[in-house]
Amino acid sequence: MTSTTPFVQISGLSKAYGGVPALTDVSLTIEAGDVHALMGENGAGKSTLIKCLSGVLSPSAGEVRVDGSILAPGDLRAAERAGIAALHQESTAFPHLDAVDNIFVGRELRRPGGLLDRPRMKRETQALLDRLGERIDLNRPLEELPLAQRQMVGLARALSQRSRLLIMDEPTASLSTRETEILFRIIRQLQSEGVAILYISHRLEEVFALASRVTVLRDGRLVETRPLAEITRDGLVRLMVGRELLAEEQSEDYAAQGEAILEVRHLTRAGQYHNISLDVRAGEIVGLAGLIGAGRSEVATAIFGIEPPDTGTVAIQGQVLPPGSVPAAIARGVALVPEDRQKQGLVLPLSVGSNLLLAVMKSLTTRGFRSPRKEQETVARLMQGLSVKAAGPAIAANTLSGGNQQKLSLGKWLATKPRVLILDEPTRGVDVGAKAEVYRLIRRLAREGMATLLISSDLPEILALSDRILVMRQGQIAGELARQDATEEKILALALPSGPQEALI
Amino acid sequence: MTTLRDLLTRQREYGVLALLLLTLAVVGAINPAFLKIGNLRDMLVQDAPVVIVACGMTLVVVLGEIDISVGSQMALLATVLGLLTSPSHAHWPVATAVAAALGLGTLLGLINGLLVTFGRMPSIIVTLGMLTVLRGVSLALLNGQDITDLPVGLRVFGIGTFLGLPISLCTALVVVGLTVALARETPLGRRIYAAGSNPEAARLAGLPTPRLKLFAFTLTGFLTAVATIVHQTQFSVIQAGVGQGFELLVVTAVVVGGTSISGGRGTILGSFLSALMLGMVGSMLIFLRLGVSATYWERAIQGAFILVAVLADHLARQRRPRREAAP
Repeated sequence: MTSTTPFVQISGLSKAYGGVPALTDVSLTIEAGDVHALMGENGAGKSTLIKCLSGVLSPSAGEVRVDGSILAPGDLRAAERAGIAALHQESTAFPHLDAVDNIFVGRELRRPGGLLDRPRMKRETQALLDRLGERIDLNRPLEELPLAQRQMVGLARALSQRSRLLIMDEPTASLSTRETEILFRIIRQLQSEGVAILYISHRLEEVFALASRVTVLRDGRLVETRPLAEITRDGLVRLMVGRELLAEEQSEDYAAQGEAILEVRHLTRAGQYHNISLDVRAGEIVGLAGLIGAGRSEVATAIFGIEPPDTGTVAIQGQVLPPGSVPAAIARGVALVPEDRQKQGLVLPLSVGSNLLLAVMKSLTTRGFRSPRKEQETVARLMQGLSVKAAGPAIAANTLSGGNQQKLSLGKWLATKPRVLILDEPTRGVDVGAKAEVYRLIRRLAREGMATLLISSDLPEILALSDRILVMRQGQIAGELARQDATEEKILALALPSGPQEALI
Repeated sequence: MTTLRDLLTRQREYGVLALLLLTLAVVGAINPAFLKIGNLRDMLVQDAPVVIVACGMTLVVVLGEIDISVGSQMALLATVLGLLTSPSHAHWPVATAVAAALGLGTLLGLINGLLVTFGRMPSIIVTLGMLTVLRGVSLALLNGQDITDLPVGLRVFGIGTFLGLPISLCTALVVVGLTVALARETPLGRRIYAAGSNPEAARLAGLPTPRLKLFAFTLTGFLTAVATIVHQTQFSVIQAGVGQGFELLVVTAVVVGGTSISGGRGTILGSFLSALMLGMVGSMLIFLRLGVSATYWERAIQGAFILVAVLADHLARQRRPRREAAP
């Protein structure tokens, strides 16, 4: 390698999913022996970038050069041959296989004759794990091992490839302090051997401790690449947030707030969330912010009775709900609009009308039989109230746009006349116009006295809608911000973990 | 710490083996004739086709798929084998006809595999279709008439012995040995388990999942041909109803043997042992001398084993740590 050719050069990389751009014209270079941090908010395009780089995805445009020669796009094996290995964030382990098989499957060591060379694979596995300072039962399937050990096996797999560029996506997410320290030591050792590392993390301390340069992505675009020596923690947060708020998204009026409708006290579930207490008043919209994995959706499912908490209570207008009972929650007026409307919120092949009636079917009957008249009235009332753009109540829900589907998903619950509305990412994948309509709907419901708990990773959305903002970090409420004091920087400062911490028990 | 309960629930082979030995001991104590070599051999010969096909089916199910067409495959293969060798029909040399049957079985498996992988259709639907089509083809070929003049050269496969053991039994043992080695000791085998365990991770690891599935279906077709050759030739007649319900016996053996229907987990040894155990049920009912009507309970008892196996799976899974990532 000559000194003028960068080790890895990414030029003009773009990727769109079904017309929606996830990554637009991103260029950056990674030098050998460098720890290069990649940062950005949820959905900024980090995962898409590393998937293009490691050959999992084929980019829509742009190229990756390693040592000056173009890497075949979307070819995992080519990326592997070029020395690129990735430690992906999502579980890439094979739960039914043991550590040895997990590390070597696809690149098995063989004896002459083609059979597996188990003794050698076992020895190498042991050597890799020794290097990571981890003692793992090699005869147990991975699903029986603790999460941190599974993660270490994943790391061992990446190390076994003797890669020259190691991509690590949130590698410390489930590691303890001790394991994180071992990981850092390994990273520094690899670095001294000339291995380049692309390090993705939300933890600013880790980035400042390890990396020499940082690249920030926002909304799928490159914001800047800078040496970390030239930037402060606050400066980095500003780069990540960066965007200006759209004035029209700001709420114009404050709803009059009444009594506390939803009262959550000391909700705890091991490994997910800890000691969560919050109130939502009639007419109030409370934003619940935090990083993905902070435990927000888990709290929502606990309130709604899907997964009961270990301890703690949920009360509606002073009456405690039996834990883990969805029917009881619905009967007391709680509605949850889930994150994934296609899988959890709607029955897509059914008609618009049928979807709106799903939650209230039973109350619209006459002597146990469905009553077409009552059903039609309800559907007509809801469609008008929601301003759903559909040719009619009989067309299939999957023909509607994302925004209109989201309105249906919301409207289904409005039919039950709820008092508490929990919204989980209500505008994910919804275009700007429809977003504004969903916002108007949420505000109107609040004015009519709805107590709303809004979970969103979209900070401008949280800021535009919420009367109060609670920020969750690693399963706990890290702080509360009143709407007049809240800024994206303040939310992010509360949401970002301040350093390697013990994983939740 | 591995407890006895762990062994019995997690490693299904041990549980099935324990049940197998217990049944032998109890029924043998009540009626010693049950343990006579002749009876044991008869039971094993009867189990041989289920064992042979279950070896391939285990890999199919480990990959998260299923093949319910093996009974009809057997019917078509037996019909073709009979028509090709019968002196009153094609009258081919036995060796050529046997090779043709093996080739046809392989082709049937390949067609199933292609429809599932490249046709992107659910295997239960594909093989349900094949079940009906192949049964229909074999009925049409038989044209309402049984084949009764199978040549002795062909029937040797069914009634002959090798080193004193029935050929079908020897074949079953060889198939078990080879497929166990394939599953455990070859890269192909480990990749099949990996692809069944976590398809998304398999994709990220660059494993060719469609080709692995194609292989498993094709192997199952080939083994069905092997089973047909050593089993159907025991009888002097090939009739229209050949192989009916066979697919259920095979799938039952695989599931009771500990293979998870959602993929990733299961061993050929487990399928083998549970095929033996399920095969013993009918014979057991006779030897317990409960009267003729008791023997009609065979299917009900075999079916109950499926439910018990699935329940055991469910209980074992609850005891395992949760797989979801913590925040």
